[in-house]
Amino acid sequence: MARDLAIDLGTANTLVYMKGRGIVLNEPSVIALNRQTGEVLATGREAWQMIGRTPGYIVAVRPLRGGAITDFEITERMIRLLLQRVGVSRFTRPKVVICVPSAITEVERRAVTDAARRAGAADANLIEQPMAAAIGADLPIDEPVGNMVIDIGGGTSETAVISLGGIVALEAVRVGSFDIDAAIQNFVRREHGIAIGERTAEEIKVAIGSADPTPDENQAEIRGRDLMTGLPKTVLLTPEEVRFAIEDVVSSIVSSVIRCLSKAPPELSQDFLVRGMYLVGGGGLLRGLAERIERETEVPVRMSNVPLEAVVLGAGHVIEHYEALKGMFMGARR
Amino acid sequence: MLVVVIAVAVAVVLVVAWLLSRRRTPDGVDSFRRQIDALSPEARRPTIDKIKPSGDGDDPLDGNQSEGNES
Repeated sequence: MARDLAIDLGTANTLVYMKGRGIVLNEPSVIALNRQTGEVLATGREAWQMIGRTPGYIVAVRPLRGGAITDFEITERMIRLLLQRVGVSRFTRPKVVICVPSAITEVERRAVTDAARRAGAADANLIEQPMAAAIGADLPIDEPVGNMVIDIGGGTSETAVISLGGIVALEAVRVGSFDIDAAIQNFVRREHGIAIGERTAEEIKVAIGSADPTPDENQAEIRGRDLMTGLPKTVLLTPEEVRFAIEDVVSSIVSSVIRCLSKAPPELSQDFLVRGMYLVGGGGLLRGLAERIERETEVPVRMSNVPLEAVVLGAGHVIEHYEALKGMFMGARR
Repeated sequence: MLVVVIAVAVAVVLVVAWLLSRRRTPDGVDSFRRQIDALSPEARRPTIDKIKPSGDGDDPLDGNQSEGNES
């Protein structure tokens, strides 16, 4: 008999929570395929290490973009392999709860549940990421008070106001930390004339990226391919340049938070001034982002204790209390 | 006679099944209360406590998180 599972099917990473055991898998949402035969060569971390470094016949891809499935067949194969790694077989078919962006369309919803069922799940239900994040971040969402959670993932950023176990206001944009990486790549190409890969752009973001000026800022040495000569080249990049490069993406995220605040009922709005907003998701770890949101909204911003695992922990709690919480599934309330 | 006994037995079984199914169907208040109770900090504590720091490269089935990554 398979243990039921909760899956945070993220654009960047996939986390799996097994009922009664906790988080059993945390891997990049990447799959490497043989381009000629279609054979799967690697998934997860192993496939991630291949990104941008593969020979012509191998392709390492992220089958999700902006929180949505861009390649149904590859996503299904990736989910099947991940489920196999946590013990799911054709004879042990678990119930599965999957976290998805709240703004996904009906077609995308169907794609996710179909992919999970075809990958071995007996039943697949969806839950909104901000709701799962609020449960996992241990916010008092069972009380009649305003709880605000900002979930910045790889491909989506969602802000939700939650009270009494339900979403009161919601704002989502299909912009996330991958867009920050892409903005850095474009900037370096445009301003310094060198091409860098997405992994290098992510390393720059982690090393010197920030949404607001921070103390102890250092320059970073960037290595890439000169677009004019085709030769390897090194340039120096400053934190100010990176801030300039990612400004549009950061502004878009902050604007969505402000729009969500403006949608909240006044009775709940006053709670935010006291309780603050909670930041979860890997994108929330960008230096200076909490300070930037706090400065622009004049509402305190706090980082969750488990920013990277909050979503899957929340979904895991739903799978632990399946009968009591099945009313929280997407579609169950409509 | 036998037909009557079978008919009565089937009727009794149907009535009992109907009563049991009615009892199992929670009304709005009950299901809302159960949902709120399941979301209380006390109910969530065992789930949230399942996350423990550990080193990289752990067995994925050991019940611990292996590495922090963005989701």
